[in-house]
Amino acid sequence: MIKVAGLDDVAAAIADAIEAKQHLAVRGMGTKAALGRDTSYDAILDVSGLSGIVDYQPDELILTVRGGTPMHEVEAVLAKANQMLAFEVPDLHKLLNSNSAGTIGGVLATNASGPRRLTAGAARDYLLGFDAISGRGERFKSGGKVMKNVTGYDLSKLICGSYGTLAVFDEVTLKTLPKPETNISLLFACDDSDAAVARIAAIFASPHEPNAAAILPRAIAAKAGIDISATMVAVIRLEGIDVSVADRAAHLLASFERGLEIDNDASTSLWQAIRDVELLEDVAGDIWKLSCAPASAPSIIAALSDQFDLAYFADWAGGLLWLAGPSGGEFGAALRAALAANGSGYAQLIRDQGNSKAVIAPFQPLPAAHYALHKRVKAAFDPMSVLNFGRMHDGI
Amino acid sequence: MQMPEPDQAVLDRRADICRDLRNLVAADCVIDSIEGRRAYDADGLSAYRQLPLAVVLPETVEQIAAVMKYCHGEGIKVVPRGSGTSLSGGALPLADAVLIGLGKFNRILDIDYANRCVVAQPGVTNLAITHAVQADGFYYAPDPSSQIACSVGGNVAENSGGVHCLKYGLTTNNLLGIELVTIEGEILRLGGKHLDAGDYDLMGVMTGSEGLLGIVSEVTLRILQKPATQRALLVGFDDTGSAAKAVGDVIGAGIIPAGMEMMDGLAINAAEDFVNAGYPRAAAALLIIELDGPEVEVNTLIDRVAKVMDDAGASSLKISNSEEERNLFWAGRKSAFPAVGRISPDYLCMDGTIPRRRLPDMMVRMSSLSQKYGLRVANVFHAGDGNLHPLILFDANQPGELQRAEDFGADILRACVEMGGVLTGEHGVGVEKRDLMGIQFTEDDMKQQQRLKCAFDADHLLNPGKVFPHLHRCAELGRLHVHKGKMPFPELPRF
Repeated sequence: MIKVAGLDDVAAAIADAIEAKQHLAVRGMGTKAALGRDTSYDAILDVSGLSGIVDYQPDELILTVRGGTPMHEVEAVLAKANQMLAFEVPDLHKLLNSNSAGTIGGVLATNASGPRRLTAGAARDYLLGFDAISGRGERFKSGGKVMKNVTGYDLSKLICGSYGTLAVFDEVTLKTLPKPETNISLLFACDDSDAAVARIAAIFASPHEPNAAAILPRAIAAKAGIDISATMVAVIRLEGIDVSVADRAAHLLASFERGLEIDNDASTSLWQAIRDVELLEDVAGDIWKLSCAPASAPSIIAALSDQFDLAYFADWAGGLLWLAGPSGGEFGAALRAALAANGSGYAQLIRDQGNSKAVIAPFQPLPAAHYALHKRVKAAFDPMSVLNFGRMHDGI
Repeated sequence: MQMPEPDQAVLDRRADICRDLRNLVAADCVIDSIEGRRAYDADGLSAYRQLPLAVVLPETVEQIAAVMKYCHGEGIKVVPRGSGTSLSGGALPLADAVLIGLGKFNRILDIDYANRCVVAQPGVTNLAITHAVQADGFYYAPDPSSQIACSVGGNVAENSGGVHCLKYGLTTNNLLGIELVTIEGEILRLGGKHLDAGDYDLMGVMTGSEGLLGIVSEVTLRILQKPATQRALLVGFDDTGSAAKAVGDVIGAGIIPAGMEMMDGLAINAAEDFVNAGYPRAAAALLIIELDGPEVEVNTLIDRVAKVMDDAGASSLKISNSEEERNLFWAGRKSAFPAVGRISPDYLCMDGTIPRRRLPDMMVRMSSLSQKYGLRVANVFHAGDGNLHPLILFDANQPGELQRAEDFGADILRACVEMGGVLTGEHGVGVEKRDLMGIQFTEDDMKQQQRLKCAFDADHLLNPGKVFPHLHRCAELGRLHVHKGKMPFPELPRF
């Protein structure tokens, strides 16, 4: 374990690894270690010491913080100013068998984004700039501390979701937003997933600004304490100022049948259960996440339900499916086949109960030309494959 | 403006190259004549002109790929062009480069309300996307001022913004998928109608890459439901400091308007002379604040914003009560550039971003720079996000004034970076700000960015001479520093 306190330490550790031809595993609080491929490494680079709030200016909507800062610290600072990270950081520690939501660096490295991602954007849309040490052991910065910025390549987008394979974060500057005054949710009883997707689409075609939408099959809804008689429940969240939320809810309930409202407390706890995939926690087997075009979700579910005893629910208006199924390679292969037959997207293994990653790639395999480009991009930042080598794909 | 030395061997082969290109696209899609090429010799940075080697207007993605592959094989440079509205010289030709124009890619391919997106070819204009969906109550949010002309492919290349990006983000926040053609002629699809990359966000890095990494051949854009209500406030202040503070106070009150624009005294009066929108002529600064969203929300928040303005010492305040009134509030701002064009033979439109709270400092600096250079400057800002558009007034017929205007502009951009901001908020670096990149980035920062370029275009054929001031060969960039006197794996090739 190489514990670093500053960027000079990181640079030195990487330089040593380059010389010794070693691979390092980059770890903040280790909460996401279960994601991705199993890799062999020579040492762990512990970056939890790169921690601390550097600069917070609520009126400027920016927060600069070091990558190893725990999320609970970040959230505490934001809460005091009544602000938030709009992409809604999930806490998947129970799925990943760890003990917290981890560090901000880990959140950015995995592009971890919750229900509001549908309308507000993902983590990658909120990283304004950062400085880091590349896998070459060299310090570099990108972006800035302002939102309107097109100076140079947008490396913030590239580094988010790169699972630590390109560079080690030090300071990151995030865009913050004011917290909404309140939220409530509407539950609509639907006869099947097609009806649920259509209901959600119709609500999004209204001027009432829903910000999140989920689809819960009856059994899953029951786990969330929802007791309405319906095969499928479409959940719509409304946020904003009190009078506006009440007005929009009234309009939607008047325009669409079989709906009811749940209050702020119930809505908040329901969406937290959706965000953190608590609704599948006690289901046996692996858990996969699948990103697809929302309107394709019903066909994908139908194709899979034929083959498997499926426990699932959808977030992002149907565009994010969380599915529990048997360990091994068959389930993931079937997900990817269903996806391929129904447009674009990807499927990623999240909870691996039976060492499934030994037989199936946890990340969606890349077509040859994409893989080659990924390799070249990796080489641009980490030519000696020091950082999290093989974590996402074999050879990258 | 120094551009890379043209390759004489390529210039000498111009006729052969044109003949080869005619084998790859329809014969009339290769423009060879001087008169024909002249139509493509500049973009919106019209002070700089250069005839390209040849212009090619492909009609299919396979043709783009064939032309790119040919150029790559022959070592011929390529300059991509959308509508040619770039204000930073992004589509400025090179004498030895084939200019690939995407103008024939002008079709909308798929309007998908179920998935709330539109699939379009890159030559479709930004406004055409909104027009295609507005009858059904939808629109495409990023709204650069050039939207009747600029292309969505160009929007991806520049990561274009606009007035409403304070609330709705830039192109990169509204882009779901692209198809791109690499310099080697590979056609890659990134993203799609689903959300998130699932692996490296190459689409994210292509956005704002100014034609240096690939040519966009198709885009998938997110569309939104049109807000139920839009209302605006027109607020005058006796000094810019108070106006700037008021902008911060709105954010501090937890309100994110759809847009917040500021104009200074010179811009206000130029606009009034031109369109008579009823702006307060005596005001030192004018704010136009727009709120959009559900009716009850807008009507409640507009009162809150009005109170913030009063508390901040506004000297005048009007709230729109009709669409006509709202459009009238905007009329002056929307005509600001031509209005300024009336009061001066020429102007340079700059583009930089600073943290909002530094606006008063920037106004003071601009005033002293204006005196230093003996040139007037009118200011129009996207105050909500600190993105400035100073308009430096000059007369190109006066010896030395263009140079003084450019020097004035460079000093403004230096000040932006000094105050914690950046060189360009939405117009891009292009050639215009290329030589200032060193103010914001170190050599190491720029080398790392160029290594990314090497992954896409190792021979530096795509849009050379733009964005980065110093060319480093990929082999040189790939070398690792020798550590403790030993080079690891010296026998292995690195790009």
